[in-house]
Amino acid sequence: MSSSSNVPVPPPQPSLQPNALSANSVASSTSSLPSSVFTLPQTAQLEALYTIIRNKHTSRGDFLFYSDRIIRLLVEEGLNHLPVVKKSVVTPTGSTYDGVGFEGKICGVSILRAGEAMEAGLREVCRSVRIGKILIQRDEETMQPKLFYSKFPQDIAKRYVLLLDPMLATGGSAMKAVDVLMENGVSEDRIIFINLISSPEGLKTFCERFPQLKVITGWIDQGLNEKAYIIPGLGDFGERRYCE
Amino acid sequence: MSQSFLQQELQPASVSLKSQKNTLLISHGRPPWYGPDGQRTSDAFVIGVAGASTDVTHVARQIVKALGSIPTVLILSQDSFYKHHSPEEIKLAFESKFDFDSPHAIDMKLFASCLADLKACRQSNIPVYSFEEHQRLEETKYAYGATVIIAEGIMALQDPALRNLYDLKVYVQCDSDLMLARRIARDTKERGRSVDGILEQYLRYVKPSYDNFVRPTSAFADIIVPGQNNEVAIELISTHTRRQLQERSNSFRPKMVTSSSYSPDLINKPLENDPNLMILPSTSQLKGIFTILRSKDTSRQDFIFFTDRLSTILVEHALQLLPYSPHLVTTPLDVPSYGKKLDTKHLCGVSIQRSGSALERGFLRVINDVPIGTLLIQSNSQDGEPLLLDVKLPLLVRHRSSAQDTWVFLLDAQIGTGAAAFMSIRILLDHGVQQDHIIFVTFLVARTGGITTLRRAFPHVRIVSGTIDNDMREGWLEGDRGEGNEEGRKIKIWVMNPGMGQIGDRYYL
Repeated sequence: MSSSSNVPVPPPQPSLQPNALSANSVASSTSSLPSSVFTLPQTAQLEALYTIIRNKHTSRGDFLFYSDRIIRLLVEEGLNHLPVVKKSVVTPTGSTYDGVGFEGKICGVSILRAGEAMEAGLREVCRSVRIGKILIQRDEETMQPKLFYSKFPQDIAKRYVLLLDPMLATGGSAMKAVDVLMENGVSEDRIIFINLISSPEGLKTFCERFPQLKVITGWIDQGLNEKAYIIPGLGDFGERRYCE
Repeated sequence: MSQSFLQQELQPASVSLKSQKNTLLISHGRPPWYGPDGQRTSDAFVIGVAGASTDVTHVARQIVKALGSIPTVLILSQDSFYKHHSPEEIKLAFESKFDFDSPHAIDMKLFASCLADLKACRQSNIPVYSFEEHQRLEETKYAYGATVIIAEGIMALQDPALRNLYDLKVYVQCDSDLMLARRIARDTKERGRSVDGILEQYLRYVKPSYDNFVRPTSAFADIIVPGQNNEVAIELISTHTRRQLQERSNSFRPKMVTSSSYSPDLINKPLENDPNLMILPSTSQLKGIFTILRSKDTSRQDFIFFTDRLSTILVEHALQLLPYSPHLVTTPLDVPSYGKKLDTKHLCGVSIQRSGSALERGFLRVINDVPIGTLLIQSNSQDGEPLLLDVKLPLLVRHRSSAQDTWVFLLDAQIGTGAAAFMSIRILLDHGVQQDHIIFVTFLVARTGGITTLRRAFPHVRIVSGTIDNDMREGWLEGDRGEGNEEGRKIKIWVMNPGMGQIGDRYYL
């Protein structure tokens, strides 16, 4: 697969930015991140977007608008890990332009319910892309994540899958979702997991389990609290997006 | 009374136009008023007209008419500059006991500063005076971009600061009894006054003031014009004005932005080293998007979709250039989060019509709550020079005080010859926007086009572009039918190579 040749530009470190005063990010320890993890460039602008959606006083309208902006950036970054092939076209001036063509079918799979919030952003970038759904809940007896429902495109095994879930906390449900995808014939290296915020712990567990799988995350936060919520985080993404 | 004291009179085109699909009124366009260094090359031509009250306005309008097809002629009336009155003064005014005909009734300082701004091609917000209320109103009227300004009023030659601004000083002579007759006719009809009030005012103020303040200023005039039967005098004035404009335009015409004027050493200087020219990182997705947009076989539907996607990426990238400051918030878990917030006082977009509008959807996906202004700039089919046809800027930019703190995203599809980019940046600078507050967002920049002149003239403007095209070549464009091109023949233009074709046409037509 040629996507491995698309080495992303290393994100500029917040400390190098003139007005950096960031205590949220552990991106300064990016060097210790697993090689399958890619963050967005940690610019002041991105930090400002996160600051808006983290703020508990942000209105629902603003939460929608600004989280959509981040999601679009994440999807754009995720797509850069898909393979392309050389392609030449003729321009309106009659010249030949040696460009690239998109290769391989893709589909989205959102983990209900918060993952659905990322679908609009996905479709703004990938027009009319097919989207599968997974519902995973915690089993009250075993306390383990359990698959309640899934619905995928018929030919999902032949597609690259963009797995959508806004928050990677412990990584339990995301790992369960990957298990389900692999049971449906999707190979690990054809899955790209896209999320807005990760905990360092969850990221470590997830990447150790699926080293071939690429993770695109917007921001890596400080860690988890005793209830396994991401700190500082932004609260419950699905609640804020749909219910508040 | 209607607000006739400030008129931006556009003259009808000298050539009649048949109704056509493509129309461009060249005679209404304003050619460049700056040189290749970005600096203004000439002021507006200012005519001061003073003298007997009613005839002054009449003569000013006659001059406008005689000037014919000059793009923008602005009449600036002294009446707009009556001072703000106290309640006592207003009471006197309603009793016709206030001396409106003294030079002190007029805010000469403001008159001169507005005129100085307009003469120097800056915008001005002219006060609005209501004769019904005898008061200056809260509102102002925005004016920008006049080629000729006619400052008229009985006291127009009174103030030395004003006199210094005139390129031509005109005094209108009239018989006293005619003056009175016209005054009665005007004030009863247009200003709703009674005849008794008018007569009282005339004897008490108008006549003495005319004798003491107005008539003596005829000594300053370059030409004295009779109030009636003055066709010859008007002809002299308009001929003189046109010749003056012609001489000025000769100095700024050539060598603006044709690619032949660039020396090879400048062309070879890599644009990639310019810190204020930012090119998007060439990711595989970006290359794929450009491959689709460049192909001549791409459907309109795809062209629109991928243009919107590209403009979204561009504007997200451009936003990194704004200033941000530390900002502390509390998350729903009630923990503090140290982040950042946008640190700009004012923000707006300005798109260059028509193809700049192709970036607007992407712009609105990223910034949804700021005004977007437009500039209509087209090129003259005869010599390819840019022509400014319309200016609709956000209020933030119209007022100089806020323009200085406003960040402006200028949107245009590409920078080829750079002529439209050049003109639009000049317009923003004329309004007081700071050069380093302008961020130009575009899909394509041509390495061998006008970009070098543009960078040299405005080095602090930042440009965010999708990519750089190496080459510009001559091409033929379907001509807009109109003046000088009635048969709609094709126009020789410079096109980007490999380019994306005519982006505006592919996005809209």
